[in-house]
Amino acid sequence: MKGKKEDKMLRALFRHKLENAEIIPSPAVSVQLMRRLRRREFLHFNPARFNIWYAGGIVVAGAALAFILSSGSGKKDEVNTESLPVKTINSTELIKQDRGEGQAPGEDHRETIQVDVKKDTVTSPAFPVTKSGTVAKTISGQSKSSEVSDNKIVVLPKHSIVPDAIVEKQKLQGIVKMADYSIESSVAEGCVPLKVRFHCATPLTDSCLWSFGDGGYSSLKEPEWLFDVPGEYNVSLEVYGTGGLHSLTKTEVTVFPKPVARFEISPENAVLPNDEITFHNFSANAVKFKWNFGDGNSSSLFEPKYYYKSYGNYDISLVATSENGCSDSVIVQNAFSDSGYFIEFPNAFIPNPTGPSNGYFSQKSDESSQVFHPVFNGVSDYQLRIFSRRGILIFESNDISIGWDGYFKGQLSEPGVYVWKVRGNFMNGEPFTKMGDVTLLKN
Amino acid sequence: MMSDQQIIKGCAKHDRKAQQLLYNKYSRFLLGICLRYSTNKAEAEDILQDSFLKIFLNIKDYTGTGSFIGWLRKVAVNTAITHYHKNLKFRYHVEIEEYVSVETGVSSFEEDFFTSEELYRVLNELPTGYRMVFNLYAIEGYKHKEIAEMLGIDTNTSKSQYSRAKAVLRDKLEALGRLKSNYPASD
Repeated sequence: MKGKKEDKMLRALFRHKLENAEIIPSPAVSVQLMRRLRRREFLHFNPARFNIWYAGGIVVAGAALAFILSSGSGKKDEVNTESLPVKTINSTELIKQDRGEGQAPGEDHRETIQVDVKKDTVTSPAFPVTKSGTVAKTISGQSKSSEVSDNKIVVLPKHSIVPDAIVEKQKLQGIVKMADYSIESSVAEGCVPLKVRFHCATPLTDSCLWSFGDGGYSSLKEPEWLFDVPGEYNVSLEVYGTGGLHSLTKTEVTVFPKPVARFEISPENAVLPNDEITFHNFSANAVKFKWNFGDGNSSSLFEPKYYYKSYGNYDISLVATSENGCSDSVIVQNAFSDSGYFIEFPNAFIPNPTGPSNGYFSQKSDESSQVFHPVFNGVSDYQLRIFSRRGILIFESNDISIGWDGYFKGQLSEPGVYVWKVRGNFMNGEPFTKMGDVTLLKN
Repeated sequence: MMSDQQIIKGCAKHDRKAQQLLYNKYSRFLLGICLRYSTNKAEAEDILQDSFLKIFLNIKDYTGTGSFIGWLRKVAVNTAITHYHKNLKFRYHVEIEEYVSVETGVSSFEEDFFTSEELYRVLNELPTGYRMVFNLYAIEGYKHKEIAEMLGIDTNTSKSQYSRAKAVLRDKLEALGRLKSNYPASD
């Protein structure tokens, strides 16, 4: 029964509040709607609304059709004339274009590549053009350029420019079975993320298929692969040579996990140079640590403690190294910028009636508040002056460890209100000035 | 100021001005409906656009019998249902099978306690299926059988989704109510 009633209430609530609720749409909705509407209405052809737009549309469509029909026949010639300039200009882009079109006459094709090969020999004469030429290229090169050079090398034997090419040609024709299809990688192991540049050690291939063991593939000849998860990967290379030759090679790449360098500094609002700084080490996965305290000193302890000699804005860094030699670093810049400096005064004290203490205070004297002195942190220099209500200077101290014991010229001062003024500097160079009053109470 | 009749006539002739007037007059009301069927305002505005396209392109189908507002509402609701079907497979559908509905003592939902924004938010947070059924049943006033046909689900599914939707709404409103009575609205 109760459920029924509740159901009714809930329905009433929503119906009452939302059935005719209005929400203001954003202005863009209207604009977009009208645009869509125009398009839709245009497509829903309606003779009643035949207007200039339809007429224009028909004219444009007709013109386009006529253009397509007329240009269709002349198209082949255009391609030929376009590929002509390739002979004289040997930029890689044009070669790619040439390659891409594919149907260009064979004569043309060979000639363009010949030109390019000559250029290659000229620009890098130090290398025997074939294999090492490609290697040199990939050091600076990206995938695209290596693809292009790939093409060049396959063609090279046809033009026996370099003696090596003859050997290559022989290999290509039969000895290739014995050829060593091996993988060369820039590194075999390393820290995550590990970028490895692979290189198929034989250039006599039609196509390569790399499998990197982490699900990644590449068909580039010199791929670069980034392993971003630690682990051991079986990298395999399938090579397809001319004439259906096929070979499979494997290698292993080990990617070590990276340590994490982390630390915290305590105390939180440390005052230099008074406080002993403790560096809490929260690094993970690391065995070796190198701390740099930022003042020129360093430590290799796990959790060093350190006293700074003076205040400063120190950048503290920690390099954590794992057993595999992988490292991570963290730096805390300006580690002591949060100020822990302060000076505060009490507002009353009760002098010791038995005699002056010369202002020295101890924890015991503080328990009965016998000496008027500040609590502070990080004060470097300081001057405290206390005046009576008539304005007479009755106490002065330039030493923060000496407070006022309530005596003036050997006489215990009258109970009452006294005015104090303090000036000085904190250890970080920040000046301070404070005034206040203190009530001298009688025991 | 044009009357509805004039606006409808103008829209039937694809008169831009009339279309704009119709939009200006009813877009807020229709967006209010669309928002009930969506998870956020952007989605609601998509539905609103589609609704208006349908309205403009099919306004000649409106016979003039029955209220115009009712017709508009029906188009919007139907568009929302189409939208629901279209996007069904993209949704992450949370099926709370073990939803235990706790009958609590405090189950009075005073109307003035919740603002319509809060109710919208609570509705928007419902799983899509629940929201469709709840809207159609509780607010639009369709029968479970009709809803089942519209959404292409079983009548019993409609019923159970409605009761689950209610349970979720009740919990959310109670939580909201507790929050509101602890921290009275600042405005």
